[in-house]
Amino acid sequence: MRTGNRLEGTVALVTGAGQGIGRATALRLAAEGATVAVNGREPAGKIDEVVEACGGVPAIADVSDPVAVEGMIAAVEGSAGPIGVLVANAAYMSMGPFLEQNPDDWWRQIETNLSGTFYLIRSVLPQMRRLGGGRIVIVSSEWGVTGWPNATAYAASKAGLISLGKTLGRELAPEGIITNVIAPGVTDTPQLEQDARDADVSMNEIKARYAAEIPAGRIGNPEEIAATVAFLAAGKSAALVGQVLQPNGGSTRSWA
Amino acid sequence: MVNSNSEVGVAVVTGAASGIGAEVSDRLSRTGYRVAGLDLRESDTDFPLTADVSDHQAVHEAVDRVTEELGPVSLLVTVAGYYEMIPVQEITLEAWRRMLGVHLGGTYNACAAVLPGMLEAGGGTIVTVSSELALGGGSEDAHYAAAKGAIIGFTKSLAVEVADRRIRVNCVAPGPTDTPLLEPTSPWRDQGFLETLPLRRLVRPNEVAEAVLFLVEEGTFFCGQILSPNAGAVI
Repeated sequence: MRTGNRLEGTVALVTGAGQGIGRATALRLAAEGATVAVNGREPAGKIDEVVEACGGVPAIADVSDPVAVEGMIAAVEGSAGPIGVLVANAAYMSMGPFLEQNPDDWWRQIETNLSGTFYLIRSVLPQMRRLGGGRIVIVSSEWGVTGWPNATAYAASKAGLISLGKTLGRELAPEGIITNVIAPGVTDTPQLEQDARDADVSMNEIKARYAAEIPAGRIGNPEEIAATVAFLAAGKSAALVGQVLQPNGGSTRSWA
Repeated sequence: MVNSNSEVGVAVVTGAASGIGAEVSDRLSRTGYRVAGLDLRESDTDFPLTADVSDHQAVHEAVDRVTEELGPVSLLVTVAGYYEMIPVQEITLEAWRRMLGVHLGGTYNACAAVLPGMLEAGGGTIVTVSSELALGGGSEDAHYAAAKGAIIGFTKSLAVEVADRRIRVNCVAPGPTDTPLLEPTSPWRDQGFLETLPLRRLVRPNEVAEAVLFLVEEGTFFCGQILSPNAGAVI
């Protein structure tokens, strides 16, 4: 792992940081020297655990609530200082055949994944402008690039994030605020437990099924995605603007 | 005899004598790699070799020498290339063949030379170098963009072909970079052009090297992907 002190003196807000990719990212950015604000929807033991492991601060808000997001981001500045790195990772997914998805479920996914990221960036921008620059890393999904059966709302929300990231890449780069998108492939996170339940198979079986469709022969792990976030958030990577990075083991083609 | 005790591995970098290739070689050396630099002229690397990458036989012989002297090659970065702008109707057959021969042929030759060793060792990493012009195209860039675009197709196919044998193949497609490849009078250095870039400046060689190093060291779930540090030229 290429850690160092690349983020010494930087405050990084990571949303959805209680588990999976968000948790690994919080730990990684902390290892790079950042003060990490650890976001979760509500106070919980797993958030406290990440806060303690990071030596960071809690940042509780449902990202789909713009008022709560505004308050959370002001509170982070108050306790840790202005935010220089935003990792918009929080997401909600519900799978089902297109016509069986109800409008409430559609809107919850759009509101959390797409609008939530809009609320976060809108609230964090004044702080980045005061700092004279910043890095925004949006976590989309491979399914936002390729689409996926039974994941219409999720895939649509994640595709929306790609366009949001490309547009803000163009719009904000002149002032030194660099936006990029990561679209991870299937990753070994607690989300897979839901997939296993939906498919009525064991965790090992669902992982094997996904791995069989990936040229690299395995699914990803959260630390690999976190390393990609760290590269975009901390490295000499500013020449990447509005790009979509796809750590997915080569799974861009339909095998099923 | 060059010291063959390598902590990290043995890297072959084509086009190592200048610009992005020199920057990548330097970064790899500092990371602990033993770097063999292939170029038309001698490079400032651990094991400089002169060869024209478009010469299949010469590239194979060079890689054989690296293997004998430094050990099995675990990393290949194919940077060798050149740039020229020519209106499409003025591209001679010779200019076309040379452009494809160096970029696509050179990439193929180097990959073919190192692959047997990587397959035998049970792993390896390859980073090819394309260009933002392959993604976005450019006026008077037809033969350059065609050659660089072909590298992308080659990279993606090779990547899925060898992924299950622990060889990772990816590509970096830089935008206009501040290297000797861009002449002082190049339109890519024009202030009016730079103002059109979201980043408002040329890409720095160390930023391209950073992308290469990321793919080498930490991009472990990337397979057949294109990273394009291009200052926002193509989004």
